[in-house]
Order: sequence, then C-alpha cells, then structure tokens
Amino acid sequence: MALAEFVQQLDQLVVEADQAFSAATGQEALEAARIEFLGAKAGRLKAVQKQLATVPVADKPAAGKRLNEVKAAIEAAFETATARLENTSDEVRDETFDPTLPGPAWSLGKVHPITQTILLLKDIMGRLGFTPVEGPEIEDSWHNFDALNVPAIHPARDPLDNFYLAHAQWWGAQSGDQGHGSADMLRSQTSTVQIRTMQQQPPPLRIISLGRVYRPDTADETHYPMFHQMEGLMVDRGVTMADLKTVLRLFATAYLGNSVPVRFRPSFFPFTEPSVEVDYYWNGRWVEFGGAGMVDPNVFQAVGYDPDEVTGFAFGLGVERLCMIRHGIRDIRDLYTNDVRFLAQF
Amino acid sequence: MIVSWKWLQQYIDLGGLTEAEVAQRLSLSGLNHESTEPLAGDWAIDLEVTSNRPDCLAHLGVAREISVLFQRPLRRPDPQPQASGPDISSLAQVQIDCPELCPRYTARLIRGVKIGPSPAWLQELLANASGNPAEFKSINNVADITNFVMKECGQPLHAFDFDTLQGGRIIVRTARDGEVLEAIDHKTYPLQAGMCVIADSQRPVALAGIMGGATTEISQKTVNVLIEAADFAPGSVRQTSRRLKLASDSSYRFERTVDHAGIDWASRRCCQLILELCGGQLCAGVIDVGSQTAAPAPIRFRLDQIARLLGIEVHATDVERILQALGNQVEPHSTSDSTRVWQVTPPTWRRDLSREVDLIEEVARIHGYDQIPEDHAVPMAVSTTPRVDLTAQRLRHVLTAAGMSEALSPSLVPAVISDLYSPWTEQPALTTLQPMLGVLDTKFWNTAGPVDHVRRSLIPSLLELRRLNEFRHTQPVELFEIAKVYLPGNPFPVEPTLLGVCSGRSLLEVKSVLAAAWSAIQPGLRLEVEEANDPFFAPGRALRYHLHGEAFGLLGQISQVTQKKLKLKQAAVVGEFHLAALVAALQVVPQAQRQSLYPAIERDFNFIVDLSVRWSALEAVVRAAGGPWLETVQYRETYIDSQRDGADKKRVLLTLTLRSLDETLTGKQADAVAQSVIQQCGAQLHAKLVQ
Repeated sequence: MALAEFVQQLDQLVVEADQAFSAATGQEALEAARIEFLGAKAGRLKAVQKQLATVPVADKPAAGKRLNEVKAAIEAAFETATARLENTSDEVRDETFDPTLPGPAWSLGKVHPITQTILLLKDIMGRLGFTPVEGPEIEDSWHNFDALNVPAIHPARDPLDNFYLAHAQWWGAQSGDQGHGSADMLRSQTSTVQIRTMQQQPPPLRIISLGRVYRPDTADETHYPMFHQMEGLMVDRGVTMADLKTVLRLFATAYLGNSVPVRFRPSFFPFTEPSVEVDYYWNGRWVEFGGAGMVDPNVFQAVGYDPDEVTGFAFGLGVERLCMIRHGIRDIRDLYTNDVRFLAQF
Repeated sequence: MIVSWKWLQQYIDLGGLTEAEVAQRLSLSGLNHESTEPLAGDWAIDLEVTSNRPDCLAHLGVAREISVLFQRPLRRPDPQPQASGPDISSLAQVQIDCPELCPRYTARLIRGVKIGPSPAWLQELLANASGNPAEFKSINNVADITNFVMKECGQPLHAFDFDTLQGGRIIVRTARDGEVLEAIDHKTYPLQAGMCVIADSQRPVALAGIMGGATTEISQKTVNVLIEAADFAPGSVRQTSRRLKLASDSSYRFERTVDHAGIDWASRRCCQLILELCGGQLCAGVIDVGSQTAAPAPIRFRLDQIARLLGIEVHATDVERILQALGNQVEPHSTSDSTRVWQVTPPTWRRDLSREVDLIEEVARIHGYDQIPEDHAVPMAVSTTPRVDLTAQRLRHVLTAAGMSEALSPSLVPAVISDLYSPWTEQPALTTLQPMLGVLDTKFWNTAGPVDHVRRSLIPSLLELRRLNEFRHTQPVELFEIAKVYLPGNPFPVEPTLLGVCSGRSLLEVKSVLAAAWSAIQPGLRLEVEEANDPFFAPGRALRYHLHGEAFGLLGQISQVTQKKLKLKQAAVVGEFHLAALVAALQVVPQAQRQSLYPAIERDFNFIVDLSVRWSALEAVVRAAGGPWLETVQYRETYIDSQRDGADKKRVLLTLTLRSLDETLTGKQADAVAQSVIQQCGAQLHAKLVQ
C-alpha cells in the first residue's frame, strides 16, 4: 500500500472515531464505539495497523509516526467523550413531582421572651464581671425588709401590699423572733438574694440576682402580681458612685447598641443611700431604667460587713418593662397567658 | 404635691427664673417633675415627693429647696398673733389617753370669729394648688385657712366649732367597737377598737389625723373656733385610713411624719390668719399636752467620706454652704481635726437626716449628680455561668428544637388547680393572705376560689395553659416550663426547680424528646425508668424516672378523669423532672471518644416472649449478654400473632450492632455474640427465637 493511501485511511479513521465518540449519548454507546475503533482484537485502528506491513520499507518510518499520532488522537477523543458522559445525567424528570409543595410540618419551639431578656441581661452583666446568684422566693420578712433597712412601720410592709403566707398551717405556731428564719412571704424584691449572698460570702462581690418577685397588684395592661427583677450588687474597698454610673453606662451601651448618656435623679430606697433613679438618653428622650444607689451602711451592718471597710453599689430594674419595650409587647398579661401564637413570635 | 408658682413667691423671689428651669432643677435634685399646668397668671407644678421628704409636701419646703439650688434667700413668716382673750385653760381642756397614737396635741381658741367666704387671693392659691382649679370649692374662711397653712408648712390642722364640743373637752383616745362617726364628707364610718379618735366628753368628733366630724365642723353659725395642731403616729393613721378606705391630705402627711417643732408655728400661723381674715379674739396661751420630741442629735461628719462614696471631691466651702442652706447647723467637731470633721445638726423638719451618709446624699443631690463621671476605670473581673443556667440552657435548646415552646406561668393557682396533682408532697399547699387578682381565666373557672395556693407542681399549671390554648384553637400546644415549685417545710419550704412538659404527642414521642434532652446534659446519660401506678395518669401510661437511685421525675398520659375536669379535647402527656439532678449530672465540657474505623455487623432477632415482658427488661438482658463489641440495641417492632404463638405472647424484633475498636469482626465472632444473646434471653426471660 502506498504511503498516501495509508495516511488517508488513518485520517479518515480519526474523523470517524471522533464523530462516533461525540455522538454517543450513553456509556453503552460509547463503549460500543470504543470497541469499534480501539478494540484490541477487531478494532478498526488495529485493522489499519496491520496494513503497515504492506507499506514500502522506505515509507515505514513516516507511516509509523503517523499511526502513533492517530492512535493518540483517537484515544484523546475517547477520553474527552468519557469525561463528557461522566458529567451528564440520564435521569428522567418525574412530572408528578411539584417542588413548590410545602414539606412536612417542622415547627421550632421558642424560648419565652422574658427568658430571652434575662439571658441577654445575664450575658451583658457577665461581660462586666457580674455572676448570677439565686435565692429562695419564699422569704422571711427579715431578709425581705429588716436587713434591707425597711423599718417595721414602713408602708412597704403593709399586708395589702405583700403576699404574706397564711400561717399556722401544719407546722403549728410561729416562733416569735420577729420574722427572722421563718418563711412568711413571697419576696417582693430580689434584693433578698444580695443579703443572703453577703451573709455567706466575704467581700469583694460582683453579683446579679434575677428572678420572680410578687406584689399584689391586680393584673391589667401594665401590672401583674408576679414579675421579674434584676438586681446588681458590687461591693469592694473603694467602690464609688462613679463606678456605678460607669457600669450602668456600659450596660446601656451593650443593651441598646450605642453609647448613651446616663442620668441620675435623686430618689429614696431604704436599702441605698444615696439613692437615685437612673435614666438613659435614647431616641431623643430620657427613658427610665431603674433604681440604684450606694449600699446603705445599715444593710452592711445587718450582714456583718464593716461599712468603714467596704463600700458598694446596688441597682435594680424590672425585666418585664425592658422585655415589653424590646419586643413591642403592649399588654403584660400576654407574657403569662402563654398563648402559643404569642410565644411563637419571638 | 402640686405647688402654685405664685404661692411660692410668698417665700422666695423667683424673678428671672422660668417655671421650666425651676422644675428641671428640682427634678434633678429630688423632686421629680411630673407636669406643669398653665393657669391664669400662675403655673401648677406637679412634683413627686418621695416618702422620706414630707417637708416638701408644703410650699415652704419646696421654696427652701429652690432657695438652696438657686442660692436665693428664703422668707419664712414669723406669726405672732396677739392674744386678747382670757386664758384658754379656763375654757377648754385636752387630755391624751393614748400617747402612743398621739404623742402631742396643742389647741388654741379664738372667740367671736366671723365665718364667711375667704378672700379672693386665698381662694385662688388654694384652687391653683388643688390639682383641679375648675372644680375647686372654697369651704369657708376658717376651713380654707387651715388648708392653706397645711399646704404652706406641711402640718395638718383642724378647726372645731368649739361650742359643739360637749363639755369643752378634747379627749384623744381609741375608739370603742360600735362607735360611729359621720365625717365632714357626710359619710358615716363604723369605728373599730384601736383606731385613734378625737372625742369630746360624749362621743368621737374626729378621726385623728384623717378627717373631722360633721357635728363639730365650722358652719355659718360658728362663733368660737378651737384650732388643733397635733402629732399622730404614722402607723396608726395609715392603718385607720386603710381600714376605712378614707384618705385625705391630712392622713397623707401624718403617714409620712410631720415636723414636731413646726406644730406650734402652724398653730400660731393659723390663728394669725384667722384674726386677720375672720376677726375674733385669741384666748391667751396654748394647751400643749403630750411630750416634746427630743431635738435632732448632732452627726459626726467626716469630709473625706464624700469622695469615698461619690467618687468626686466637693470643696469644703460648697459642702458647708449646701448643708447650712438646707437648715443644718455646721460646727467644727470638738474632738477631731476640725477642718476635716464637722458636727452637723440637722433641722427638725428633716427627720430623714440622722447619719453621715444622709448628709453625703444631701451634698450629692444639691452639688449635682451630673458632676459624677460615667467613664471611670472600673477594675476588671471575671464572671462565671452557674451550672444551673448551663443546664437550663441545654434543655431549652433541645426542647425548642423539638418544637416545644417555653411557658412562664404564675406561682399561685386556685385550690381547684392546685388539687389536680401534687406528686412531690402530701402536705397541703401553702397559701397567701392576699390572692392574685386578674390572673385566672374566670370565664372557665367561674366557681374557682381565690388564686392563693402556692403551687407544688408545674403540671396543673401547664394543663391549664393547654386548656386555654385549646379553647383559643391554637395548634399545636407543645409547652415546657422551668420554674420553682414550693413544697411546705419547716422552717422554710423547699423550692426545687423543675422542668415541666405538656404535650399533645404520644407518651413515647415525648419520652424520646426528653431522652435527647438528657443526652445534651451528659452524652449517654442513662436514667432508670420504670412503670408507675399513679391514678392521675391513664392506667399503664405512667413512668417514674430515677437517676443514680434518686427520684428524678415522672411522665405520663393524663387520665380521662383529669381530661374531663379540664374539658381537654385530647389526652395530654405531662411530666416533670428535678433540675438539681441534671445540674449534678451536667458534663460542662463533653470529651471526645475514640471511634472505630472498622465495619459494623448487624444481627436481627425476632423473639417470642410473654406479653408482660417489658422492653426495658429485654434490653437489659441483651446489653449484658452483648459483650464489649455491642454498639447499639435497636428496638424495631412488636407483633402479636396469638393464633401462631398463643395468647399472652408477643414477638419483639430487635437489631444488634456489633463493632470492634481494633479489628474487623468476622461472621463467626458475631454469631458467638448472637448465641450468647439468644441463650441469655431464653434463660432469663423465656424468650424463644422465631426460626
């Protein structure tokens, strides 16, 4: 066979193999094409290769070179086709399937908005070094009043303004030690926890107490006979009102997300002296935040701290108010009705 | 306290000041500004007066604050009414039978008074300070004067028509049961023993410190007037006022204490104005019975304590000026370094000042809290999150992921809810004297008693929330609550924190959600669960949980009886669990376990066992027999074919997964384990393998 004819056959083979490989739409068709062109025994390339022997000796080097080039080209075309098919799916569309249908119901529960607010308050105060402490909700009036410097005749102790327990139930008559050590009321403030903590731990202290407190207001849009308070207390040598103001400003900055000024207005609480109301300047007006002050020396004496050794500040705020402002809740009763549609919003 | 801008100017020159400027300064120094109403030629400024500052329930007191803040002189009248009548002691008598309720009582007598309308200026000031000038009604000149003096200096006064007092006597005593009094509001009040009354020789004529009586009030016929200026015990006034639901400007002030040294001043001031405006003749002298209160004790005041508490220095001359302007006497302390330690004697009208710290507050509020910096370098400190908070948070994560929402419900419930269930104590619930009002759905609980039972379990509360949600057609109602319950104990109740759940899902679904929660506390935490016999729950649908042998909780489907009581549409599954056990078990930082890289082998078993054999028993035997390669025991299903297997039998299908940490297990090894499982189940539970 003349060289020209041999080469022409090879060139023809390349074109046909390339067409066959490209036309294959599935693995089976491609495999059939591979066997047709590259089959080791009966492939068409093999057939052409056998004719190399009939090419004149002088032309054999050129013919051999051309044969190798063609073999490489056909193999490359096969690899290309293989790669193409690996990235092509032969899956069939299921016309009955509607991907816009809703999936099976999957509902997430929600953490109560009051808890969410409490967690946020704990988080912020934690960053400022305040550790949460807990105490009993059923208290003796010594912890709820006396130790907090609320005298026996103070109006805050009025039976109509507190949830005193109906006594002499099953344990018999009360001991007569003026309310010390005998549970007689639902606490009206979380400051009781400060007293218990100071009784148990020497200074320095940096604590917050958060929890339920109780006062017999008839429930309406803005009142509920049970609510939550956060109280903070810091006691150490050299704690001043400048520390108090700074901590409250940092708290406000973290809570509101902006640096906001803090304002103190004089007020009166039996357990702090001086006592102040705290306001934040927010959205163009002063917003009441809560009460604060320097721990009254009588309170330190009641728990066995020396007021000439240490000073401290305390502050308190209502969690419901913060929570309601935060989430746009208009009726405090919604918080405790627990309608699941209400809870699902937060 | 509503003050009239015009009235204030009787005591202080307000020239050059605006009412807004003054109100703002007062607000930032202790008298919170509520509102200002413009009036004809005047302003009515409403100031909130804290309970420790009764001196500011008076125009003079507010004027004094302004005089200190703006450093302007205060003009306090000095009433010296001229007596021209006979000595009062020959005409009237006063006795105090209850000095603990009335420490002091003074009386002056004016004869020949001409009762008539008050002059316009007096009516105007009273109206402007009344809170409602449009509705204000002047009474008569004498009554108006007593009100004027009260709002001038804070001392409540009362004027009696002397001729209506039987025997010309005033007796301050406690009321007797059965006595009644028609007050000047023309309502009749039943008196109770212990209430302090002013009586004449026959009958009560006034409620001490609260309101006068109708029969002895000043009328057009009155000629002779007895002026009472007294001190009544705050607690007694408050209690009587509360009991009778009768409050007055007078009771409000007595409840907050009056200036003892101001009693006589007020009496003289009142007499002076009556003589001026109503004529008459003042009898000589005064009846003044009871005890004089001791003068305020001097306070040792260390100036360095100001900076120690406030964090700022205040110059000594400023401190001295502020304290003096407020009425304190300031002298060097005789036995201390007089430049740094003073002796300060507070004024009689400031009974709230008795300690050094009280004086520091005075300095702070007048000097200005705006002087205290808000960018002080507070030392850093680390805080820790308590384990109980970490535990509660992990539970919340799992339960909310499982579609349950957190509820918060009141700690007090009515008896009918409290009595639904009390798994932790047989003691009756604690009760409160006051009930919670407005917290119960009274449309449903229309016959429920007061909400005064301190709850012993969260389950009744959660069922009530479920009922309410069912009523409102809200779906689904999947709730949990983490809260305290209160179990009676002596001397203090025990207040365990519980996790309560209430669900419309099946018992086993809820159980499996909870199992996920326990694993979040400690991976692989295993609780002992056993069937419980508890009539609150449907028969055979209750479980009791133990952790390390301690009672931990319970879970079950409520009985039909309970369901009917609450008119629930569906049998709810409820449970509650002690958080303390989980707090103890909490693994704060989970530790990595080595995982096998070798394949697992599964073996299925189909056992025929008695109906009474519980999965928990079967699982325990399988686990014990499974050996060290046992990875999981999975329950597949239960199948009952009484025809083939006989009555009282069931088939339980389960799958064991075996895997070794160190090698690929062979079929032979797995078969050996399977044989051991079959053998042990047969021996211990008479389980037969289905061939």
